Amino acid sequence: MHSTMFGSISFALFPVMIFGIVFMGSFLLPLLSVAFPAGDLAFLAHASFLLLGFMVGGFGLLGNEMMNRRFGQASLLVYSSRSLPLSERFIFTNFVVKDIVYYFFLWVLPFGGGYIAASPFLGVPLSRALLLLLTLSLSFLLGLCVVFLLSSLYVRSKAACLLIVIFLGIAGGVYTIWSGTNPTLLFPPYLLYSAFSWMTFLGTSIAVVTMFLASVVLFSPEGTGLSRTYRRRLGRLARVLSFLPESPIVAKDFLDLSRSGIGIGQALFSFVLPLVVIWFFLSLLRSSFPPNGLVVIFSLTAGIIASTIYTWVTEFDSFGPYSCLPVAVSTLIAGKMTTFLFLQVLPAVFIGTVAGISAGPEMIAPAIVLCLSISIYAAAVMAFLCGLSPSVLVYDVRVLLTYLVLDGVALVLFAAVSFASSLYAFLSVFLLFPAYLLFRAAGARWDARDPAGI
Amino acid sequence: MAAVIETKGLSKVYGDVTALDSVSLSVEKGTLFGLLGPNGSGKTTMIKVLTGQIRPTGGFATVLGLDAEKEGIRVREKVGIIPEQESPPSFLTAMEYLEFVGAVRKIPDIGERAEKWFELLEFGDKKDVLCKDLSRGTRQKLMFAQAFIHEPVLALIDEPLINLDPVMQDVVKEFLSDYVRKGNTIFVSTHILEVAEEICSRFAILHKGKLLHAGSVADVTAGGGHLPGFFLSLVRKGGHA
Repeated sequence: MHSTMFGSISFALFPVMIFGIVFMGSFLLPLLSVAFPAGDLAFLAHASFLLLGFMVGGFGLLGNEMMNRRFGQASLLVYSSRSLPLSERFIFTNFVVKDIVYYFFLWVLPFGGGYIAASPFLGVPLSRALLLLLTLSLSFLLGLCVVFLLSSLYVRSKAACLLIVIFLGIAGGVYTIWSGTNPTLLFPPYLLYSAFSWMTFLGTSIAVVTMFLASVVLFSPEGTGLSRTYRRRLGRLARVLSFLPESPIVAKDFLDLSRSGIGIGQALFSFVLPLVVIWFFLSLLRSSFPPNGLVVIFSLTAGIIASTIYTWVTEFDSFGPYSCLPVAVSTLIAGKMTTFLFLQVLPAVFIGTVAGISAGPEMIAPAIVLCLSISIYAAAVMAFLCGLSPSVLVYDVRVLLTYLVLDGVALVLFAAVSFASSLYAFLSVFLLFPAYLLFRAAGARWDARDPAGI
Repeated sequence: MAAVIETKGLSKVYGDVTALDSVSLSVEKGTLFGLLGPNGSGKTTMIKVLTGQIRPTGGFATVLGLDAEKEGIRVREKVGIIPEQESPPSFLTAMEYLEFVGAVRKIPDIGERAEKWFELLEFGDKKDVLCKDLSRGTRQKLMFAQAFIHEPVLALIDEPLINLDPVMQDVVKEFLSDYVRKGNTIFVSTHILEVAEEICSRFAILHKGKLLHAGSVADVTAGGGHLPGFFLSLVRKGGHA
């Protein structure tokens, strides 16, 4: 099905590109290890795949509406539970398994494969390279299953989900204070990579399978035939936002986020939770960074993750529902980008709080500016390259390469200058200029093409 | 009479598939025009090209004197459209969707107009229900309302009666005939030939992207003939050509 959706050579080349990058990048490891111990790099790799799992795992938030958006014209698959002797849970489980296999072949296997292929040239035993593939896979699956479980629970009972998150937070905090050690050091896949044991492997595998099964059981299929009524809010909201040229579209986006429950769910599972965990991982590497370097790196990471808020607001509708109205694709992109900008208050508050607590009040402003500048710039790059379909087109290898280069240059540049002095982080506001140009170019570029989704 | 839709050598190719093959057509003002054809004949593509949703790969089309390719937004400002498959946005209520359409089309008295449509199509009890929870028939009524709520001089509608019950089909057919009598034009794409024979004054038949015939319904039915028989004989001949 994915070949139908994305069928092109560019998409098929994506894992080849990841393989190539990791294979060639592996030869830089001896150079990198001078500044960054090999153990830290392995730790970062595990953290990255845990993050990938977090980002992918919000399946519990998917109802038929979101599945339809993903499947587009193939939406008959979503409804096949009504015409075939298949339950919605069965179709949903197949969808999740398919997605897991898909991400495994897209990201995890090429990454591990690249390192395995390079290992003979680096003098790394093949068993260590294979172990890395195994533990990275477990990192990915653990992240995915944790968020899958929490998001499924969230849809069933927000209070229960919140209680569990609070309990885990308190438990982590108590452990940290009591033991004086960072709880991420107990992350099972990294423990396995450091010192393999069958018991840890079995325990981790059982945890993954249990969380997956519990998530499937908890999954709540979207109700059909319900006729709940809603208070009219669009007109009032559009009037409040009437200073914006795209106020009806922005108002509609806010209603979409609010009524679908996706807004808070995404904020929790695709933003706050991954970043809190990543913070614990990165904080272990504090000694490898210059003073305040940890906050700089974290601001940049938060900026990149905050840029994916653009995918939240484009996930709801394709151009189709607008095709009968005098609305250009560029107008829709502008509307979505405006909603995105409003939602940047979330990363601003989050990164400001983290910077204030961990590095003092003087780091709050530089961290916020750095995070938001990167986020807005990366979102503009995404809008230019992918228009209204970022979550689909980003897997076109040409698109991803361009995205990585354009974002990578900005990240390296502003990491370097901000490491030199945190005041230089303010220079990142200059990213808003190319961001504006890219946003304008995105409108012209996507207006000149037949829109997708009609 | 002035032509409100004019196409010359209009073509649209998707990869290896030719959806429209050099179609030249003229639709005059005040006509209820039926675009007929089997599934996959290019009817929906024709409406998408005429309303500037997609670009032709050859030829040109003008709608209300506007170039459909270059002035698609202005075309969609002036006309009403019911797309074949599209549903209204999931998380707006039926009333909010019409308010949304009113805001985009800048209709000041959208509330009053919406109420009239809820009354005409008998779905006022669903006005505060989310679009995703509406039945297909009610969604179709809502799409019908959005297409005519700004009283366009030209409406392009794709399979307008699909999903509607017989009573509502009758209401809609009567509305369409009355709308045209007021001097407006309706371009309707359908493969329900009996409906086309009943309400259309002129028609064209598309088959495999080619225009097989364009003419008056009265000419076909004059000698006791029927549009379905005429259509089938023509398409079967065209299919073997």
